[in-house]
Amino acid sequence: MTDAAVLADRSARPTKPKTGWRTLGIVLVLAAITVWAAIAIGVDFGALVRNAQNASNTLIQLVQPDYSFFPQTLPALMQTVQMAVIGTAVSIVIALPVSFWASRATNPNSVFLGIVRLIMNVVRSVPDLLYASLFVTVVGTGALSGVMALVLFNLGIMVKLISEALDGLDRGGQEAALAAGATWTKANRAAMLPEVAPSYISQAIYVLELNIRASTVIGLVGAGGLGMLIDKVRTFYQYHYLSMIILEILVLVVLLELLSSYARKRLAR
Amino acid sequence: MSEEHNAGAGIRFENVAVTYPNGFSGLRDVNLSIEPGEMVAIVGLSGAGKSTLVRTINGLVPITSGEITVGDHALSRLRGRELRRLRSEVGMVFQSFNLAKRTTVINNVLMGRLHHTSTLRTLLAAWKKDDVELAMQALERVEIVSKAYSNAAELSGGQQQRVAIARTLAQKPKVILADEPTASLDPPTSHVVMRDLQRINAELGITVIVNLHFLDLARRYGQRLIGLRAGEVVFDGAGADANEQVFETIYGRSLTAEDVLDAPVVAP
Repeated sequence: MTDAAVLADRSARPTKPKTGWRTLGIVLVLAAITVWAAIAIGVDFGALVRNAQNASNTLIQLVQPDYSFFPQTLPALMQTVQMAVIGTAVSIVIALPVSFWASRATNPNSVFLGIVRLIMNVVRSVPDLLYASLFVTVVGTGALSGVMALVLFNLGIMVKLISEALDGLDRGGQEAALAAGATWTKANRAAMLPEVAPSYISQAIYVLELNIRASTVIGLVGAGGLGMLIDKVRTFYQYHYLSMIILEILVLVVLLELLSSYARKRLAR
Repeated sequence: MSEEHNAGAGIRFENVAVTYPNGFSGLRDVNLSIEPGEMVAIVGLSGAGKSTLVRTINGLVPITSGEITVGDHALSRLRGRELRRLRSEVGMVFQSFNLAKRTTVINNVLMGRLHHTSTLRTLLAAWKKDDVELAMQALERVEIVSKAYSNAAELSGGQQQRVAIARTLAQKPKVILADEPTASLDPPTSHVVMRDLQRINAELGITVIVNLHFLDLARRYGQRLIGLRAGEVVFDGAGADANEQVFETIYGRSLTAEDVLDAPVVAP
């Protein structure tokens, strides 16, 4: 009797869907797109071999950083850190209200919401390097244009991440506040801000980390910090110096990442 | 709480209908008159319109036709500022407590004062001393003041619901609406919460309207019982008058053990 029951069960089981061919097809299509892209932009592995001599000279210099150069990099290093800190501070202050306007959960006015989101999409679609070169032409070379570039770059990221965090929150407290006669602004402040605070702080730390990396790059177009120094030594082929700077950035980024992951882990609890 | 508490407000439903945007009919031609200070239990199957009914009273669900009068406010014409003023006089208790979990109990209770607090004060969390005092007294009334500075998330379900009741008390409301306040609680805690509501009704004279899934709770705590079925009022009378036949009208079937909170100890 039990045997019969088992048999009956088996016939009711569904057959495993066959997805093998589909997976293979997807892999082939992706491979074809990659090869097509490589051919289209003229990737030439031969150049790698022909310039091997050049490359090895550069590489040898790069693996021998000149530590005596360190004191001379200090002002630029400090400037990079300062740019990152100021850029983060300004952008997280602006990002907080804008995030509330950009989330469906906290902004009931769909027209206003749409406008804010559109503007933020534009802000986010411009790369940091472009912002930097833009501000360098407007306010001149130096840290100010760098900070301005960082602020816009951060704003795009922060608003996106925080408004998405808001979208995913439990809205019970907000509903209760609205039901008690609060305006949306008050309800959001009283009920939604405490709930989103941990992700807000965690994103702020993440953005600070991004800014250290970004502020080294945007210097290349004259927006201050280590990047400007990189540009200078690179122009004179001083790769011993260049690798010293890269080493500094590495240490800085690793330290910040440790700090950031520690802080975020504490917050997640 | 300064004890010249605003007494309860009366509520009138006149030919009220609610049709949701998807065409679902939440309420049909509801006519009710609830006296100030009454304690009313609303029962019905899920989907019968219990939740819709209580949520029309504070405008969380807009009515499609008819008119609801709360105290001297005619609801269908209220917008913006006036609607918020009405809501400040009507407290609401939710099935899932609806607390902001990452902030303190006292901050949650103070949300009941948001209507009377300026936006600037709210943004700076600079609550008035009187409001904090009011919130503390509300917590004392539900006997949970010792948790004032705990995070809401640290509290048990029953405690969270009592904080939610304190939040409505901080509003100094004329009406308290409770939408299945015991649905997330175990039986003993359910009784604690229902007794709190009963006490508030008796001592402060606040009109209390409570949706309940369980018939025995409704009969025990509701002086008056309103039965809903498919958006229509099919019973309206004293809880004591609600016999087996009445329940069949409301539920469309006879009573089972699942319809009562405290199931009989001996199996039938």
